[in-house]
Formats: sequence, C-alpha cells, structure tokens
Amino acid sequence: MAVMQFKEALRAAMTEEMERDENVFLMGEEVAEYNGAYKVSEGMLKQFGPKRVIDTPISEAAFSGLGVGAACMGLRPIIEYMSWSFTWVCIDQLVNNAANIRYMSGGQYKCPVVFRGGNGIAHQLGATHSHRMESVYARIPGLIVVAPSTPGDAKGLLKASIRCDDPVIFLESEKMLGEKGEVPEDKDFTLPIGVANVERAGADVTVISYGRPLQRVVRPAVEALVNDHGIDVELIDLRTLRPLDLETLVASIKKTNRCVIVDEDWGYCGMGAGILFKLQKPCFDYLDAPIEYVHSDEIPVPFNHYLEEAMMPSVDRIVSAVKEVCYR
Amino acid sequence: MPSEITMPQLSDTMTEGTLVKWKKKEGDKVASGEEIAEVETDKATMPMEAFDAGTLAVMAIAEGGKVPVGGLVGVIALAGEKVDEVKKKYAGGGTAKPQEAKTPVIEKVADQQSYVVASHGEIHETGADMHNASRGTEQEVAAATAVVDAPVVHHGNGGGRVFVSPLARRIAEDKKIDLGQLKGTGPGGRIVQKDVLAYTPADNGGAKVAAAQPLAAPMTSGQKTVIAMTKMRVAIATALQRSKQNVPHFYESIDIDVEDLSKLRERLNAKLEKEKVRLSIADFISKGVAAALLRHPVLNSRFDASKNEVTQYGDVNLGLAVSIPDGLIVPVLRGVQGMGLKEIRQRSVDLYDRARAQRLKREEQSEATFTISSLGSFGIREFSAIINPPEVGILAVGAAEKRAVVRGDAIVARTMMTVTLSCDHRVVDGATAADFLKTLKEILEEPAMLLV
Repeated sequence: MAVMQFKEALRAAMTEEMERDENVFLMGEEVAEYNGAYKVSEGMLKQFGPKRVIDTPISEAAFSGLGVGAACMGLRPIIEYMSWSFTWVCIDQLVNNAANIRYMSGGQYKCPVVFRGGNGIAHQLGATHSHRMESVYARIPGLIVVAPSTPGDAKGLLKASIRCDDPVIFLESEKMLGEKGEVPEDKDFTLPIGVANVERAGADVTVISYGRPLQRVVRPAVEALVNDHGIDVELIDLRTLRPLDLETLVASIKKTNRCVIVDEDWGYCGMGAGILFKLQKPCFDYLDAPIEYVHSDEIPVPFNHYLEEAMMPSVDRIVSAVKEVCYR
Repeated sequence: MPSEITMPQLSDTMTEGTLVKWKKKEGDKVASGEEIAEVETDKATMPMEAFDAGTLAVMAIAEGGKVPVGGLVGVIALAGEKVDEVKKKYAGGGTAKPQEAKTPVIEKVADQQSYVVASHGEIHETGADMHNASRGTEQEVAAATAVVDAPVVHHGNGGGRVFVSPLARRIAEDKKIDLGQLKGTGPGGRIVQKDVLAYTPADNGGAKVAAAQPLAAPMTSGQKTVIAMTKMRVAIATALQRSKQNVPHFYESIDIDVEDLSKLRERLNAKLEKEKVRLSIADFISKGVAAALLRHPVLNSRFDASKNEVTQYGDVNLGLAVSIPDGLIVPVLRGVQGMGLKEIRQRSVDLYDRARAQRLKREEQSEATFTISSLGSFGIREFSAIINPPEVGILAVGAAEKRAVVRGDAIVARTMMTVTLSCDHRVVDGATAADFLKTLKEILEEPAMLLV
C-alpha cells in the first residue's frame, strides 16, 4: 500500500490502464499541455504523447460526442470534465447516445467510455457550477454511475470503469482531489462495480452515503454517534449509484431496523429519494422508524461561504436524524 | 358537538388531578393547543391544553377542585354552536364519565413490586414491604388480573387508532402480544420495537409478574429451551466482560453503624410527612458518598487508559444502578454535592421511575463519576460490584439490619450495614480506598458531619 492523494490515485488508475491497453486514451479541456485543470493528468502527456492525451476546445458537446463515437468504434476513451455542472450542455450525448447505443443497435455497438470529473458543491463556485449530477444520470438505464469516497476506492473503481464495456459516469469532487489515503499498488487491483462497501459494521442503525459527504461530514458524525451517543452505526459507502447494491442495503436494514441516507443532493427527486424508493418496500416490515434522508436545502447553491455550508448536511443534522430514527 | 375537556392522565400513576388555576374565563375564545388551565398531578403541575378551538362555555370545576382521570373539567363550544345552549345542556353535569380509576389493589401491588425491583429503594423497611407484597398477592391478584385484562383505553392516539412501526407490529405478531396492551414511546405515541421488546405483562401494573413468578411453569425433565439474548443483555454482557477483563479490580469492605442515621431519618420523615417526602437510607448514602468523594477526588474520576489520563470532577454525578426485567439501567443523578436530602429523594425517584419505564434520556445515563449499587432490598448482607469504566470505583451497599456488635465489653444490638468498594487499581490504591471508606463511615455514623 502506498499513501497517495485522490488525484494521484486517479492518475495511477489511468496510467496503468493506458499502459495495459493501447485503446485507452484521455481527452478533455486542459488535460494535456496544462497537465489538467486540477493536475489529475500531470505528466501524462509526456508519458503517452499527444495522440493519447488530447486537449479539446471548450465544447463539451463536441468532445463528449467524439468519445461516444470513438467507443463505438472500439477505443476506450476517458473523457474528463472540469465540472460535471458543464455536462448540462452535452447531456444529449450521454443520456441519448452513450446510454442507448447498445440497446438501439441491437447489441451491434457497445460503448466503453468513462466520463469523469468533479461533481457537486466544491466551495464557492456559485449556483451554476455546483450541481450534483448523480440523480440526473443514475436514473438512466444504460449508464453506470460510480462515486468513490477514498483514494483507494478511486483507483480500484476507475480501473474497473475503464475496463467496463458500458458507459460509466465517474463522479469525483474538486474538494477530494487533495485528500490522502492508502492505495493498493497492484496493477490488477480493481473494485467491482455495483457492490457497496460496509465500511463499519453496527447493530443499531444503517447510515448510507457516497462520495464527498462521507469524508466531509458522515464519518465524523458516525464517530460522534458511536463515541458520544453510544449508537452502534452500520456505515455503508455505496461506491456505485447505478446499479444500486440493493442486496447489501436491505440485508443491513433488516438487521438494524433503521436507516438514514445522507447526500448533498436536493431532497425532492434527489439521489437519496431514489434510494429510499428502492428500499421502502423490501424493508417495510423491518423498519422501526421512517427512513430519514439528510440532504442539502432546496435552494440554489449560494456563493457565500457560510450560506453554502449552512445549506449542506452537517454533522449535527446527521446526528439528529440518526437519534430521531433511534428514538433517542 | 361541543368539545368536552376531560382530566388527562398525565402520568402512569395518576388517578386524579387538581385544577390549580384556570387560565381562561367563561366566554373566552380558545385556540387549539392553547393553555386553558394548570393541573397538578401526583408528580408535577402541568399545563392543560385545549384540543379544539372555540369558546369556553362551561367551567365544570372551581380552582382547587379535584377531578378523577377522564372526569369533566370544562366544555368548549365549537364554531357555530351557541354558548348559552351548551351551557344549558351541561347544567346538570354533562356526559363525561370519569375513567374507572385503577383499583387501589393494582397500585399497591405495583408499588411493592417497585420496591423489590429497585435495587436502591427503601433499604431499611424492605423486610416489611416484601412481606406485605407477598401477603397481598394471592388474594389480590385475581382481581388485579381481571382489571388488567379489560379493554385498554388509548389516549392521544387519534380516534383510538394504535400507531405502530411495521417492525414492532411484526414482532408483536410473532410473540402474540396484543398491541392494545402496549404504550408507545415513539413520536405521537407510536409503538416501536423497544416497546414490544420491553413488554412484559407487568407493564399493566406489575400484578401479572407478581402473580406469574410462583406459577411459572417448571421445565419438565428432558426439555430444553434456547433463549436468544436481548440487545440489552448483549450490551450488558459485553460491557461487564470488558470491565472485568481489563480493569484490575480490588475490593474493600467496611461495616457502618447506621443506628443513629436510622433514627435521624425517622425524625426527618415525621417532619417531612406533610410534604409527602419520605427519605430512604439510600438517600443518606448518596449524600454521604457525594461528601466523601469531594474529600477523596481520586475516586470521583474517569480514567482514559488510551491516554493514561485521569479526569477528576468537581461535580459528583452518581450512577444509581436500577434493575429492570432482564437487565439493569444506571441513571445518573447529577450534581449530588449541591443537593439536600429532599432533592436527592425526589430526583432519584423520578430517575428510578423513568428508568423502569425505559424513558430515560440518553444524557441521563451518561457521564457518571461514581456508581452506587444496592441489593439491600433483597436482604443481601454484602456483595462486590463490577466497575463501570471509565469510572474508577463502585460502591456495593448491603442491607441495613440489626446485628449483635461489641461496644466496649458488651454485646449490643445495632443497625449495621456493610458496604464494599470496588476500585480500579490502575488509578486508586488500597490506602486511598480505605481513607474514602473511613470518611464515609464517619459521615454515616455521625450524619451531623454532613453539616461540617
């Protein structure tokens, strides 16, 4: 195991896969000459040359479509977005083309492309650049949606995504890129898509989350609940949002009889709301309290630091929600 | 239909309430949820709120009057109803019937039960209490059980509907428990998992358990029963095993002459009778332990082995072990050093009651700096207790009983009590523990020392 930053783990995953398979290439704004807007692809142009690390014009629709087409013709593109918020302008390429080409062509084409970049609220980027796109893409049959929460998971899941024959929406966060963690160096290390990680086993309540809020607020909240409130939390990191690992979630809730979902999406039609819909029927007879959903306030994301913090799930909000379902 | 305001049952033991003060006058407009009167129960004075909006048409009870639970207190004329007509209709006393009060039998049996269940109850008088309980039980149980089995009236559950979590409903079905027998502790009175798990027939007044114990079907030869441990049992098992394995316990016992203290207690209780406060020996022990702890702060502390740090406290937060069916709970009486005996009594009783009803708040079970466990009510002479880490000491209190002791060269009968202190030897040494016990003995043998 090596200790690496999140962005280094992403770079290691891409580099190893590009070394392993010459059909893999990286394309996006500033990924080559500038070494990446957030330095994820630092040094990759030098190692692989301009044919495999490609700078694009500022046109998400154009290079996303190029990625879909290249994937259909047998390559394995990695398309980097500076922010997933920018994909509103190219959503047709993802939702209509990437997601449907295998189905619409009767299996004649597959579309092994990875779209990756920073998702969600990343500190004072304002309302238009702070979208949490997971619920937009996780509802689309034909897409796979992955959201790692640690550098190790980022490497294992990105390698699995690059090897996957279906289009993968890979959600990072600008705020996570500098976080450090242990990362396996084995070049064949991958993590299975569609399998959630029971990060902490517990008996009293199941807390479900994914991606950035885990490190920002969920893990500290769980620590407080366990140490200060004596509540034995089972913490599940979803890792993959589509397909959802319902089996793991339901088994956990059948054991704990209580569930709190945490994400930074808006509540109504949010990611957690979709998960809740999947859970309520199989878990109904096992629930001792209504499932709680801790999410961001339903307002445009404020630019002001304090307001931005205030709209998002906090340790306190999670602790209260967990105590509420535990009737404490 | 005008809205009748009836006396609510504001506590489990309440049979009647006193209307202390009206907050509204006849003819006043009342909003739903608005406080209309103050009601005094056996425990506290509480606000009484109107369920419906309208005009207060009838005040059936004068201030200071007593009303049985379910009895008519007043009537609100709803929108569109004429106040005068409502008033006329109720001139003869109205239709509300007092809810049949619990028979004194149940109350009595329940009280005895609580003495037996409380490990911290009336040590001095327990022999007599237990005797009464067993004498009362046989002929009274039949009557008590009959009442228990009667249909249960639900309050605050919206038109008689019982709200219950899906899980609780499933467990109740599995265990064939009638949900109507349960009282929900969740929001809006929702019956939740812990209510079903905590249910024993004793919840209806203690009568059934008192009756069932001698009648419990004996296991027949060759029969085996596997019993899954409850969550509470598992938690107790884990915590105590961890303590006994990790904490190097040592034990010191001392005999304390509580003859004078018992007499003092009688004198004080005679004076406190009109306030309906009855001090127990346990209250004196809490007070004495708090005073002794302040003088020996090493024992009033919590130990963090991971940091090799001992935190001493200026407040004495006493854990008071209470046994409940299939387990125990340790509510925490906070700031005992600043309390008089009366306050200790009242706050302890409140904690015991809520502990047995499993209605303690989380913060009422945490941050104890020292714990007292008593089996005096069971007639246990002395025993040793397991420390509840990170505390570093626990005092096991035996029964106060007449013993033959030597005073000078004569053998005399004195009321004696043996207490055993368990200490964590990582923090407390033998001599320190002995000093503490000596101080405690001095205080309890000469309670005036509490004034010093």
